[in-house]
Amino acid sequence: MDLFLNLVASGLVIGSIYGIIAIAFAIIFKTTGVLNFAQGEVMMLVAYTSWSLATSLALPFWLLVPVTILAAALIGVVIEFVFIRPMSGQPVFSIVMVTIGLAITLRSLIIMIWGPDAAPFDASVEGGLIEIGPVVLFSEQLFALLLFCAVSAAVYLFFRFTRIGIAMRATAMDETSALLMGVDVRRISSLAWAIAAVVSGLAGVAFAVMFARAPDMWFQGLQSFPAAILGGLDSPLGSGAGGLIIGVIAALSEGYIGHGLKEISGFIVIIIVLMIRPYGLFGEKELERV
Amino acid sequence: MRTRHFVETYEKHVSLSHNPVTWSWALLLVLALALLPMVASSYLLSLATTVGIAAIGAIGLNILTGSTGLISLGQAGFLASGCYTTGLLIADYNWPPELALLMAGVVPALLSLLVGVPSLRLKGLYLAITTMAFSFIVTHFLLYAEGITHGPYGVRVEDLNFLGLDLATTTGLYTLVLVTAILVTLMALNILRTRVGRAFTAIRDHDIAARVMGISLVRYKLVAFMVSSFFVGIAGGLMAFQFRFINVDIFNVLLSIEALAMVIVGGLGSVAGAIMGAVFIVLLPEATREALDLLPTGVNNMLSTYIYEIRGLLTGLTIIIMLRIKPQGLVGLWRDVQRYWTQWPLSK
Repeated sequence: MDLFLNLVASGLVIGSIYGIIAIAFAIIFKTTGVLNFAQGEVMMLVAYTSWSLATSLALPFWLLVPVTILAAALIGVVIEFVFIRPMSGQPVFSIVMVTIGLAITLRSLIIMIWGPDAAPFDASVEGGLIEIGPVVLFSEQLFALLLFCAVSAAVYLFFRFTRIGIAMRATAMDETSALLMGVDVRRISSLAWAIAAVVSGLAGVAFAVMFARAPDMWFQGLQSFPAAILGGLDSPLGSGAGGLIIGVIAALSEGYIGHGLKEISGFIVIIIVLMIRPYGLFGEKELERV
Repeated sequence: MRTRHFVETYEKHVSLSHNPVTWSWALLLVLALALLPMVASSYLLSLATTVGIAAIGAIGLNILTGSTGLISLGQAGFLASGCYTTGLLIADYNWPPELALLMAGVVPALLSLLVGVPSLRLKGLYLAITTMAFSFIVTHFLLYAEGITHGPYGVRVEDLNFLGLDLATTTGLYTLVLVTAILVTLMALNILRTRVGRAFTAIRDHDIAARVMGISLVRYKLVAFMVSSFFVGIAGGLMAFQFRFINVDIFNVLLSIEALAMVIVGGLGSVAGAIMGAVFIVLLPEATREALDLLPTGVNNMLSTYIYEIRGLLTGLTIIIMLRIKPQGLVGLWRDVQRYWTQWPLSK
């Protein structure tokens, strides 16, 4: 029983990272209809930038987080402006291809700038081991869980109550009507990229603090696809929940079955889910009219 | 100025080319490629072999992604299954290489049904992710099912004799790849001009409209998957002959993306485009290496540590730039040049 609970806990921890990245996928997909294959790389870029800030300026952690958020927003806006904005009006297929190209471009650039070696993220969270009943967690792991809760709550409140959040939902629903109602649709797209970069960047920092900032961090982006699909790409909170589910499944299958199932259990799950419910567990079914 | 061709009969309309000049150019190209081993160095020849294998794979992917509009990010999985089928059948079961190469097409074609069936309900991005998931599962299986696949130890293919061709020599392998590439090209061109090929295009342009016109989506999407992965699997089988030591590491995400890059850079939906794209993407890192050699030694040494990253960077940037400035790909560029040339004094 203790093993089970500990596996579930570590599954929830890695699942919260998947979940946060999946929320970032969903934010961009919901507002612009584009699946950003470069989200994992954006996350990695933010984490590396944050690492450089932390080591060169020796910022305390409470100051590092807001600085990272600012840097991430800037990164998101710049990427959207340079790579995505010029493609507006092109078919979604082309824009998605651009994000695939962007993914390997960013990945290579990051390794060329920061070098191929992993490095520990020193700005760690104080606290050491924390025992909750039979479950033992590091404070860094608890930080990831708390971050997930905070991000989910913030995203929910943002889309539900703020003026910009409502404008983003309106754009997602019908771009032309939103434009006629006075929504600046172009700004919405860059805003979506900025928010997604911030959200996934925080996941990147949490991940780097737990393990290290390493050149294979981008793979977390691919690992989060199953989460986003499971929850439905157009539902940020559903994607977040999908992340937790995938994380727990991965941890349990690794703990009880082994054979490296951790890495692919998510993919097996989504192939099954997509066969049964093609739009994810929480996604909306699209009606097609000719 | 030349006038356009005016096609009068249906046969002419669907023929590969009604222009004898095109045929003679194509024959000349094949002849030149066949004579290449006489003049080229063995380095150049092995590069040409790589290009040929890539072209076969790109033609296969192009049928699926370019002609039928089903995005696949799982080419590494199909290539790996073809490559391992050939390798294992030869190394462990002593099959003749001719039959093993054929099975390299058949096994991925059957496996593609696993992805093809969900594709009937999935569209676009969801399908792309399913195919990616498929490729992860395939490589994972290859790595962990040690009893069948030798797992992390890889498969060694000994020197082979394929229909009298000695595959240990670069010339033998090159000849085999060239003949296969020509056969695959002709097969793809012919499939695309039949009822099946037109059904693919109709599904790509609007699947609901296609269904209304009486095209069975189930049947043709599955056919597209099977034909495509048959060709891709053959390319994988040839890779087994080329590398002679098969390891699961080469079948990674970058390979799938490079395959997609070939199809995009060449021009979606065109066989000639797929070949041009394969040539371009394979030669790109080689050309870069040559260019790096021209730089001063210090810069060169620094950059050559990151040769793998430079390769990724160039592939990525090529995709982005091509999609922005010329979405029709190299084949579109080629048509523009042709048009400019034939209409010269009046061309705009």
